[in-house]
Order: sequence, then C-alpha cells, then structure tokens
Amino acid sequence: MSKPSDLVQGTLDMLLLKILALEPMNGFAVSQRLKQVSGDVLQVSDGSLYPALHKLEHEGWITAEWKTSEFGRRAKYYSLTRLGRQQLEKEADNWGRLSSAISRVIKLKEA
Amino acid sequence: MRPEHWLFTIPLRLRSLFRRAQADHELDDELRDHLEQKTEEYIAQGMTQQKAHRRARLDLEGIEQTKEKCRDARRVNWIQDTVQDLRFGLRMLGKSPGFTAVAVLTLALGIGANTAIFSVIENVMFRPLPFSEADRIVRVYSTQNGVRLGGQSGPSGMDLRDFAQYNQTFESMAVYDTWRKNVNFGDSGGEPEQMGVGLVPREYFQVLDIGPLMGRLFTEDESYTGKHYIAAISAQLWRNRYASDPAILGKKIRINDEPYTIVAVMPDVIPEWMDGKVQIWTPLEFADSSGAMWTEAGRGQRDTSSLGRVKSDISLKQAQADLSTIAAALAASHPVDLGIGVKLESLSDTRSQNLRPMLFLLMGAVSLILLIACVNLANLLLARNSVRERELAMRAALGADRGRLVRQLLEETLLLSLLGGIVGLFFARAGAATLIRMRPTDLPQLSSIILDWRVLLFTLLVSMLTSLFFGLGPAMTASRLNLTDSLKLGARSGAAGSGAQRMRNFLVVVEMAMSLMLLVGAGLLIQSIVRLQRQQLGIRSPEHLLTGHFYLPPVHYPDPAAITRFSDQFADKVRALPGVLDASITTIWPPVYNWSQMFEIPGHPVTHIQDIPSAKCGLTDAHFLQTMGIPLIRGRDFNASDTPTSPPVVLVSQEFVRRYSPHEDAIGTPIHIGPPAFLNIPPGAAISDSSNATIIGIIGDFRNNGLASPPQPQIIALYSQHPLVTYGFRDIVVHAAADPRAMIPEITRQLHSMDANLPFAQTRTIDETVERFTGSQRFTTALLGLFAAIGLALAAVGIYGVVSFLVAQRQRELAVRIAVGASVSSVLWLVLEQGLRMALVGAFIGLLGASAAHKVLGQLLFGISAADPLTFAGAALFLCAVVVIACWVPARRAARVDPMIALRCE
Repeated sequence: MSKPSDLVQGTLDMLLLKILALEPMNGFAVSQRLKQVSGDVLQVSDGSLYPALHKLEHEGWITAEWKTSEFGRRAKYYSLTRLGRQQLEKEADNWGRLSSAISRVIKLKEA
Repeated sequence: MRPEHWLFTIPLRLRSLFRRAQADHELDDELRDHLEQKTEEYIAQGMTQQKAHRRARLDLEGIEQTKEKCRDARRVNWIQDTVQDLRFGLRMLGKSPGFTAVAVLTLALGIGANTAIFSVIENVMFRPLPFSEADRIVRVYSTQNGVRLGGQSGPSGMDLRDFAQYNQTFESMAVYDTWRKNVNFGDSGGEPEQMGVGLVPREYFQVLDIGPLMGRLFTEDESYTGKHYIAAISAQLWRNRYASDPAILGKKIRINDEPYTIVAVMPDVIPEWMDGKVQIWTPLEFADSSGAMWTEAGRGQRDTSSLGRVKSDISLKQAQADLSTIAAALAASHPVDLGIGVKLESLSDTRSQNLRPMLFLLMGAVSLILLIACVNLANLLLARNSVRERELAMRAALGADRGRLVRQLLEETLLLSLLGGIVGLFFARAGAATLIRMRPTDLPQLSSIILDWRVLLFTLLVSMLTSLFFGLGPAMTASRLNLTDSLKLGARSGAAGSGAQRMRNFLVVVEMAMSLMLLVGAGLLIQSIVRLQRQQLGIRSPEHLLTGHFYLPPVHYPDPAAITRFSDQFADKVRALPGVLDASITTIWPPVYNWSQMFEIPGHPVTHIQDIPSAKCGLTDAHFLQTMGIPLIRGRDFNASDTPTSPPVVLVSQEFVRRYSPHEDAIGTPIHIGPPAFLNIPPGAAISDSSNATIIGIIGDFRNNGLASPPQPQIIALYSQHPLVTYGFRDIVVHAAADPRAMIPEITRQLHSMDANLPFAQTRTIDETVERFTGSQRFTTALLGLFAAIGLALAAVGIYGVVSFLVAQRQRELAVRIAVGASVSSVLWLVLEQGLRMALVGAFIGLLGASAAHKVLGQLLFGISAADPLTFAGAALFLCAVVVIACWVPARRAARVDPMIALRCE
C-alpha cells in the first residue's frame, strides 16, 4: 500500500480536483471518496488534506460554500470552478505524458 | 490565462486579508465538522465513543498545526508578514527609547536639511509660474554681436513695435519699464514715498493673462500724453492703503505730484522676482519724458523690459528664428541696429538661471550631510544588532530564512526613516522660514517657499532611500548567523567579528571623506567672500559715505535749469550742515553703474561699428572728487570757472587713458561725447554734445563694473553743462565725519525745507550697497559653512563611537600591555593611530572628491581657484585635528584602564 505521504503535492492537487469534479462535497467526503475509488491505495492524511484544500481555494480552482447537509448539520462544501476545470485538464495531460514516459522506460528489455 | 486568473483570485486574497477573523472561525467549524464525521465513522466501525474521538484527533495530526498550515496556504504572504513585522518593529523601537530618539533626531536633521534645500530648488526651478500656460511666456533681450547687453536690455520700443507687427509666432508682445516715482496716497497730506511704478501698455497684462479684480484694463488711446493719467493698483495696496475701500475706482492717487485716477485693482499674481516690488501701474506713454522712446531717435535705447506670449503650437526655437530674421532685417535698414540681435529666454528660466550653481552646491552639501548621518546610523545599528543576535538566531532556528530576517530588519529601519522623515518635515518648515527671513536682497526668488506635494514626495523617497543606505549593510551582516554559536549562553557577540569590524572601518573612512569635501567647499567659499569684500573700491572709506535718492517731478521742475538750480541749492544746504564734510550731487557711485556712452576723439575717426569707443559716463557737480575721495592723478578738478556757459570739460579715468590714449597726453584733448556721425542717429536720442569737450584731468580708477570685474574707462562730466540729459533723478553722496546714517533726518529736513513733497529715498551707505552685492555670496557661504560644521560634528561623533567600541573590544589586550609596562603615551598613540589612519584614508578620498566637484564650485568663487592646494591641505589638517580630539577621550580611557580589573572580568 503506498502511503499517502508518497504523493507529490502536485499529484494530490490533481486528485482532489478530479474528485470535486465529480460532485461538490465537503472535506471529509473527499478523502472518503478518494480512498474508495482507488481501492484504498490512495489515502490522504487529514493533516495534509485541509491545507491542500485551502490552497486550492486560494488559487481559485475550487470554491466553497456553507450548506446544510442532509443530516441537518452545517458543512463547508467545495466545488470545482471553471478555472479549476482548466487546471485539472492541464494537470491530467501532464500526468498522462509523465506516466507513459515512465512506463516506456520501465518496460525496456534488459540485456 | 494568467491575467484572468489574477483577476479572479484577487478578491479571494483580499478576503483572506481583511476577513481573517471570520476565515479563522470558519476553519474552526470546518475542522470540527470533520472530526465529528470521522468520529461517527469510527463508531460505526465498532469503536467506543471515547476511542473513536481520540483516534479521529490523532488522525488530524494536531489541530493547531493543521490550522496553521491552512492559514499558511491562505496567507497573502508578504502583506500580512509585513504588517506583523511593522507592529513588532514599533514595539522594539519603543523598548529602546534612547536609541530611537538619537536615530530619529539624526535622521530628522539630515532629511530635514535635504527637504529644506529641495523646497528652495523646487520653488525656484520647478514650481509652475503663476500664469496660465506660463511656458509660453518669454522675455526678449537684445544682443550685440551675440552677447546679451547689460541691464534690462530689452529691445527698444520702436524695435519691439516692429517685432510685434511682423512676427508670425507670437500672440502678443509688450515693452514696459519700471520707474521709481514719488507717490502720495489719499487726497492730500501724508509723506510721499518712493515706490516702483510699472509703466505698462495694456498688452503687458494680456501677455501675462491677468484680468482685473475690479475695473478695466488700459485702452489704446490712454497711452497718449494727456490721457494717460490713470492707474491700476495691486490688491495688496488696495488692502493696505485704502482699507479695501469698495468705492476705490475713481479715487485719485498722486504720482510725482500729478493726480492719477484709479481705474482697476489687479490681483496679487505677479511675483516679486520679475521686476521688483511693483504695486502701481500706469500706461506707458507714447511720448514720455524719457526722451522720445517712440521716435526713430529712440530706436537705440535698449534699457526697457519686454515680454511676449508665444502662440500655442509654436516652440521657443521657432519663435527665436522668427524674431532673429526680423532683427536682421531691422539691422539692415536702421544703422543704429547694426550688429544688434535678439535672444529669447523663457520666463521660468529667467527665474532660476543665476541661482543654479549655488543651488546645486547646496544640494550636494546637504546630501553629503545625510550620507554622513546614514553612516553614523549604520554603525549604531551594527552595535544594536549585535545585542539582538540571540533573538535573530531564535527566529532562524524556527524557520525564518535569511531573506525573511533581512526583510524584518529593513522594515525596522524603514520605520525609523519614516519617523525621521516626519520630524524632518517640521525641521524643514522651520529651516525654510529661516531661509526666507535671512535671504539676501539680490535673491527675490526666495521671498516665499511653499512645501507642496512635490516636496513631500521627495521627503518620502529620501526617507526610503536613506533607510536602505544605512539599513542594508547591518541587516546583511546581522543575518549571517552561525546558529549554534549564537544561541549558546555567553557567546561572544558577533559584532566583534572581523566582517562587522571591516564594515565599520569602511563606513568611518567614507564619513571622513565626505566631511572633508564639505570642509574644502566651505573653506574655498569663505576665502572667496573675504577676497571679494576686500576689493578696493577706489574711493575713501565707504562706511562714511551716505547716498540718497530724490526725484524732481517734471510738473514742478519743467526745465533743466530749474533742476540744476534745485540740486545746487540743496547740495549747498547739506554741505553747510554740521557733521557733513562734503557732499556732491551725482549720478554715479561704486560699485556698479550701467550708463555707457559712445564718444569720438576728433581727428581719430572710426568707420566700423565694432571700433566705436565707449566709456561709462557720469554726471556730477564740482565736488565729486573731494566727496568720494577719488585721487586726481594729473591735471585739474572741476572748479567754479566751469559754468553752463564756459567750454565743456570732462575728467577721465586712468583706465580710459590706458585704453584710448596710451601714447599721447590725454589732457587738453578734445572729445565729443555721442555717437559718431556715420551712425546717423538724430540728435536728442542720446547725450550728444553740440560741441567738443576738453579733458582737463585724469582721476584714479574706481569700481564701476561690479566688484568682481576690473574698472572700466570712465568719463565724468558736469550736469550743469549737459542740460539735455539732466532728468529729475538725482542722487546725493554725503561724506560725513561720523556715522552718516545719523545725518539722514537732518538732510531730509533740508530737502523738505525746499520742497515738502519730495521723499528722500533709498538712503544707504556705500558700505551697505557693497554688502548687497555680495549678499547671495555671503548667503551661500554661510549655509555651506553651517553644513560643513554639522557634517564635521556628525563625523566626529561617528569616529568617537567607533574608536570607543574598538577600545572596549581591545580592553583585555590593552590591559596586558599596561601590565607588562607599556607607557601611557604608547597606549594613547595606539588608539589615536587607529583613528588617524581612518581619517587620513578618508581625507585622501575626500580630496579626490573635492577636486571632482571643482567645476560647480568654480562658478561661485572669486579670486581663488577651485583646486587651491593650501585650502585642501588646511582642510585635511583641520579634519585630522578634530579626529584627534574626538579620539582623545577613548584613548585616555584606554590608558587609564586598571590592568587588574580588566584582566579579571570576563
């Protein structure tokens, strides 16, 4: 199991953006969903999650509003902005290029 | 994408900045909410309430740290950091009030001086003129063979009329003059005063674009004699002398004993530096008593002023070319205009032209003072930072990088500078007020100094630059920390490090250099002014000679005979007074006099205009030589046998003989005063004798062209023998046995006994006149001397501080030396030598700097070169002497150290 701390900051940002692209949710839900869809491979520590979310909001890629959830409690819901969507596309492209390059190198036949 | 991105995020960042409290609150809520949800999940997985809660908290890895990290992510970093640093800086400054006070005062002195001088420069050079579109206003001057004529040197009335008619580049032009006249306010009674009256056409106000506050401007036909008895007065005069009487228009004012009707009140816009203090204007007559200004005869009289307003899309160069073309045409068609050209100068340039060298010199000097002050402060900071080393090391250990530390230190120095700048503004206000009060009479531009936004901006910039100058060095040094050493208890302070020491020595050397430059400048100026004032005038003791002026208005003294009679009678009465040794009615006295006349020596004709001889010409009575104490070298003086009907006689000066009659005996030579025949100037245009005069005597040279230039050839004639040029202006020179000023009331009484309506004006001794000439020189010298003294004092304090510090550092070493038997004098010498070494290196650099500035200095000096080696050497020696004195106290302290105590204490 790769530890969440292995994730480079940029990659974490990209993953969070993607999760929020699916639907708006609060911080706790984001980390749960990430864990879920990655089959427990990718986990974000709580200590890194919120600073990362705040940074994304500071950059203007996500926006937040306080909503009353179905349980009647007030929670802060984040959602992706237009700028954020553009950023997500850009980072996804980069990631694709990076990962295929790495794969090419790893698949080289050894002598 | 980037700019769009910025636009979107700026509101977010502003929100972080301003709604920090609310943002914090929300953060709290968010994290609490997360905890609750996590806890619930753990409970759902089967943990107990307590365990789940604890587990959730642990997962969060410390709420406070997480909160801090979130804040970090949001922080608009540098603004919040800066605000925090500034608040901290203020607190730190408050904790050490002594240091803060010294620093702020030093800065206030340096910045304030700079602001004061800059405000002068700003008022004199940059401040817009009080007229609309003032950059289109120009003065027109006449030149002869390319060189501007002396005095007012405006084109003659006829020439200017031609310029006005044929030009294509001007909107309006005006020729005008300013005369002193006897003025009475109110209807009758009251002492008359002599005031400057502007003789102006209506175009004068049009060029300046000034409209009347009340009433109307002059009309064309009011320039004709008979219709010209109208006047405009200034608002200030209206307030002071007529108590703002609303029915002022139509009231009369008596000028030269003639009633003029007031038709307008003009606003107080025209500044004093333009034409002196003029508060009354009357129309420029087309045929005034100055001798037919508006006839061809007057075409050669170039002693009026003129102004013009250029059209709005025309440049100065185009206007100059236009007028030069017309001038060339005039020169071709009028012989009296031969060789005469025209030069335009924008009005704002005329305001500052003659002041520029002085202003630049003063600005340089105050900059040097500020730099010296900065050096002292830098040293002070170095010492203070060494005390704060532990605190800085702590910050570095907690994660501040070097840049952050430097930034923090710089912000503190910026605070100091801004405080110093604010206090400095007050100093500058006081300084400017003093400058205005002390200003010499030949600098009317300094009559008001306003501190406007440009000055404030300058102060702000200077404060910021200053803080960089004195803060950067110490900040860089202080931030270079060795953390482990610094945090240890009892660590030797880093200020002793060789890096800091080298910087301190370097700074002191720089201080010495700048101080030396100031000393050299002041020394040169002082010697220059002494030499100037010691210039021989060529007459007897000037403090015993009183001059006074009176004017006989033509309405009561219509013909030359009446004027002559009055003058002679008055002089006789004055001579009869007890305490008066002699008196003379004259038109000239030293040090400068501007009336030159062409002349011709019969038998030595000239054909080219460049060869026409001319000399300064003065009209006096027979007592001139005795009153003034001018020696008669050869021949005879005027005496009673020279009457209006006897053959005309003149006296000439030695310079005249040297230049125009070096080989022949001048005495007995006939001379014809007036322009040569080939110039075809009609009679009446200038003093032109009907017959030849004979030279009867040669007199000694006296200063007639200013203090700084050698005496020019001089001709003296009797006014009784030259009725054509005997206007009502008269000056009387009185030689008194004791203080001549005490004679003024008596003389005035004598004058009034003959005519009660004549003011006796402009009474001064010749001494005082000379002083006025050197006024601006003395002003500059006094200021520079003050600055040099301040600079020297600051530098002395600086070197005292550094050497004291050195002594404290080397205390142990010196104690050992004394313990093993070193003499007191050798220890003294050890300390002094350090100070002297820095002083000498600094002096050497300063000498180089002073010789680099010699071009600017040279323009202000008289009789001494800007690279005078004696002055340089003297200044260097003086500096060393002051350094020795400054280092004496620490040196004594070092020598008196008790070795036992010094060696014991750690």
